[in-house]
Amino acid sequence: MFADSSTTFTLIALTGVFAYSFYAVLVAGQLSLGQAGFASLAAFASTQAVPDEPMFGVVPPLAVGIVVGMVTGAFAAFVLGLPVTRLRGVFLAIATLGFAEMIRIVLINQSWTGGAQGLSVPKLVGPPEAWIAVGVIGFWFLRQGGSKLGRALAAIREDELAAKAMGIDVTRYRLAAFVTAGAVAGLFGVLWVHFSRFADPNEFSFAFAVDGLVTTVVGGSTFFLGPLLGSGFFTAVPELQRAVGIEAGWLRPFIAGVLLLVVVLFLPDGFGGLVSKLGRLRRWGGPVLARGSLVPRSPMPDRTMDGTSPPPALPAPKLPPPGDEVVRMSGVSKDYGGVHAVRDVDLEIRGGEILGLIGPNGAGKTTLVNILTGMTEPSAGEVRVLGVRLGGSVPAHRVALAGVSRTFQHSKLFERLSVLDNVLVGTHRVAPSTLLRRMLFLPSARRTERQVLASALARLERVGLAERATTPAGDLAYGDQRRLEIARALAAQPSLLVLDEPAAGMNHVEAAELSELIRTLADDGITVLLIEHNVRMVLDTCTRVVVLDFGEVIASGEPDVVARDPHVVEAYLGTAAEGEAELAVETSAHEADGSGEQ
Amino acid sequence: MTTDASPALQVDDLVVAYGRVQAVRGVSFTVPSGGLVALVGANGAGKSSILNALAGLVRPRSGSVRFGGRDVTRRPAHELVAAGLVQVPEGREVLATMTVDENLRLGAWHRRSDADERIDEMYGRFPVLAERRALQAGALSGGEQQMLAIARALVAGPSVLLMDEPSMGLAPKIVDEVFAVIAEIQAAGTTVVLVEQNARRALRAATYGYVLESGTVAHEGPADDLLADRRVIQAYLGIE
Amino acid sequence: MQQIVNGVFTGSIYALFAIGFTLVFGILHRLNLAHSAVFAAGAFIGIELAENAGMPIWLAIPSVLVAGGVLGLVIERLAFRPLGGRHDAHFAGLISSIAVGAMFLALLQARYGPDTRRFAPDTFPQHRYDVLGVSVSLLQLTVVAVSLVLMVGLSVLVARSRLGRAMRAVAENPHAARVLGINVDRVTAATFALSSALGAVAGVLFALSVNSAQLSMGFNIELKGLAVIIVGGMGSLKGAMVGGLALGLIEVFAVTQIGSSWRDVIAFGLLIAILLVRPQGLFGSRKVREV
Repeated sequence: MFADSSTTFTLIALTGVFAYSFYAVLVAGQLSLGQAGFASLAAFASTQAVPDEPMFGVVPPLAVGIVVGMVTGAFAAFVLGLPVTRLRGVFLAIATLGFAEMIRIVLINQSWTGGAQGLSVPKLVGPPEAWIAVGVIGFWFLRQGGSKLGRALAAIREDELAAKAMGIDVTRYRLAAFVTAGAVAGLFGVLWVHFSRFADPNEFSFAFAVDGLVTTVVGGSTFFLGPLLGSGFFTAVPELQRAVGIEAGWLRPFIAGVLLLVVVLFLPDGFGGLVSKLGRLRRWGGPVLARGSLVPRSPMPDRTMDGTSPPPALPAPKLPPPGDEVVRMSGVSKDYGGVHAVRDVDLEIRGGEILGLIGPNGAGKTTLVNILTGMTEPSAGEVRVLGVRLGGSVPAHRVALAGVSRTFQHSKLFERLSVLDNVLVGTHRVAPSTLLRRMLFLPSARRTERQVLASALARLERVGLAERATTPAGDLAYGDQRRLEIARALAAQPSLLVLDEPAAGMNHVEAAELSELIRTLADDGITVLLIEHNVRMVLDTCTRVVVLDFGEVIASGEPDVVARDPHVVEAYLGTAAEGEAELAVETSAHEADGSGEQ
Repeated sequence: MTTDASPALQVDDLVVAYGRVQAVRGVSFTVPSGGLVALVGANGAGKSSILNALAGLVRPRSGSVRFGGRDVTRRPAHELVAAGLVQVPEGREVLATMTVDENLRLGAWHRRSDADERIDEMYGRFPVLAERRALQAGALSGGEQQMLAIARALVAGPSVLLMDEPSMGLAPKIVDEVFAVIAEIQAAGTTVVLVEQNARRALRAATYGYVLESGTVAHEGPADDLLADRRVIQAYLGIE
Repeated sequence: MQQIVNGVFTGSIYALFAIGFTLVFGILHRLNLAHSAVFAAGAFIGIELAENAGMPIWLAIPSVLVAGGVLGLVIERLAFRPLGGRHDAHFAGLISSIAVGAMFLALLQARYGPDTRRFAPDTFPQHRYDVLGVSVSLLQLTVVAVSLVLMVGLSVLVARSRLGRAMRAVAENPHAARVLGINVDRVTAATFALSSALGAVAGVLFALSVNSAQLSMGFNIELKGLAVIIVGGMGSLKGAMVGGLALGLIEVFAVTQIGSSWRDVIAFGLLIAILLVRPQGLFGSRKVREV
């Protein structure tokens, strides 16, 4: 049907535009099949809007159609996205698929669409239009990648819970990605019908959407050129098969199937993943996996463009004054089925404290931390954190934005992103948005980027990971992963830092360094809640200690007082007498080297 | 299955890695037949990784595991369970939506001929499970779930039992009961490898112990010696 | 009344297709998009056995069941097992199963060509019965009976048998299942085999009922199958059964009430409504998993 090479050339670009509409949501880890529906709606809306003559004598008819189409697609995605973006994985895919099918059936049953016969439309799209469109869209995603939005979407894709802990409003960002997909799909719909000169509701079918998805996945959904690579591949395969004389019929789809299988099994990030690992392309935009950076081509802060001094630091949020209430929990309980993880806990944290929370494994420490950070709703009791009263409707990211940063017991790093990119995501709370300014290459965007980068590098420096900045986070040793999580949490410039077993997996030298680091943070005015298994480290580091056992607070007070408390000794040792003697040894040992308090 | 001459388990230079991160870096140890060996150390020291490698749940990067004189390195878990190397996993991992009885039947997966007898035996040994046999396992208390996890492993008729943090999240009184059961199991002739955060408790129950730090063996020795060793206490056991 | 009979007839095929679809999802949390290709393959293999091999239809149907099982093993081997524990296995499984489905369809095309195929007119006896003023054909009765027997059989197998117990253990906690010494790979393969066996029989029954088979016959039912398993609750066998029958009935009534061109809006409208109001579906009890 499309035999000549200029047609093939146009097809690559148009298929690429469609693939970008899948890329737009895949970068946020969302799987949508509704794009055919958005494209269809936009295409038919544009058939009604495209004028015969240039509007006002200057605006070309196609431009009018594109604007109408993109607005239609974005609007449809917004309306659908409000309810459905909270669905995950295949549920989202099936819901959006259902939507697209409904659109198809509704359009077939309208008279103005020409029903099942379709509509003839003027041919307005050739190679130049198609390639300009795909160029603009590709550029958009290149620049989006390094923006605050791009970082947030990559974070959501890699680990949604950790993204929330960084203050990212997951619902809003997912919706933003979905609306972008709607707009791009709308653009495709308009271009497609004005290229094929025919608009038919049945063309925008399930199979059509699946083709678009497959194109994107094969091309790579984590690198901005991926959709174009996928489109080139799928357009080229039949051409190549024809060229080498493979006859139409069963062999061509069979080979296409085999190739698809091979790519999915052996190239997990598609062709884009392959390309971004090679050569210098990886330094181009986007949340490139592994060795790339989410801040592309930004000068490092020590070699600024015009030789001026490094950029001013990001404005730091105000810290609560020492002694002020930071956290207040009263009567907090949490039950899981028949198991009481936390029972009737009262806990107060005041500004400037280093509060240690200890207790045997399974005592309810992590549950308490999850309640405090808004990730678990308590079964009973009241919680107020930095002025935010937690309850059913307060999402975790609000707690993070109020100034609570945390690490997780089992590291929840964005493992496929670089060390630096992890910390850059951590700046979400304090970094200004750069998306639109980046699109226009405004100098202020670059200035902001330099500030953010400087801030992130400073945190890495502080935990001693600056030299590992480009390593994928998942490749770090345990101890380094723990430190990186702390750097990421610090990048948000928190008022309260919650560390959940930061010394797990560290040897005692590393643990001592960590203890030192925590004390310097407190000197800077950050309030710290330290959950730790290493009791010795807690006694050395903290100003106050709370002991949890079997979901209840069994002791609280200054470290050496708690260490002598018979309840604590019993909880840890089972038998009181023998343990007490050893605790005494322990406490006197650390007093001897001067770090104890008496 | 095992003779007195060859140890129940012989681990040589075991390395376990996740991606590029090494969780266990060259650990060697021996578990004598009928013994109770404790692996202790802080969270993240590599205890559970070792146990999972022994149970065939994680493929070690290098090193070897001999079970009753036979090389079983990288054999899958279902073969090892059938051969008598059975794990009681961390966090108990009972199948919450299935009944107590179904949990035990799954434990008897490889004992098609005498499953009923063995399950009845467990009901005799753990009367609380017999009472709750038709209840969903998720409705049991933490202590009951731990007993179910142990019973479920014993149904398989292990010659070596790997226990991962059996005291986790349990009240002190229940912990006493769990350790009493462990002592019974050993007395009945089953070899036990015990991983515990509660190091004192574990070493008191054990005949021999290994203290792990950052994926390597930092100290080893008869359990009583380790308990008495001031350096071990101060550096690795904290106040526990 | 006649419409109810027709609705149950169509619905039982939907249900049989959907129950296999939902089985894999419920046990393994994977969506197998090659299921529609198995459906088409079942139809073509059935026609092949009845026409070329001269097999009587009562023997051809069990043979298709076995052939479907083999296809399921192939799908598991090619599209799912190589993914192992990859972090994007759910997602990659969708794509790799699409690829394997496309390969199956290409092979069917190689053997049978792109044209519609039919059973010989005398493959199935043309008896009709009048029950309470309703006309029912032997074919309809057979289709409903075979579907019900297979679906009930599957439910009993999952609820009562040793394999079923292992499947439920794998569904709830694959790690615990491995700890207990269950060969999870084998249970996974068995699940795919059962799922595809039912999908293939659904295909041959469908081909019998409309007396035609095309390469593209699976696409439409795949969409409806997705709607059915969501409405019924992903992974719920009962939900797929009830959902499939309900969809058949609703469609028959929709055709008479609002016209055939609007028929398919019902399934998808219902689908979206259910996803928004009750994402776990009508019979799904388990928490919706993030896939």
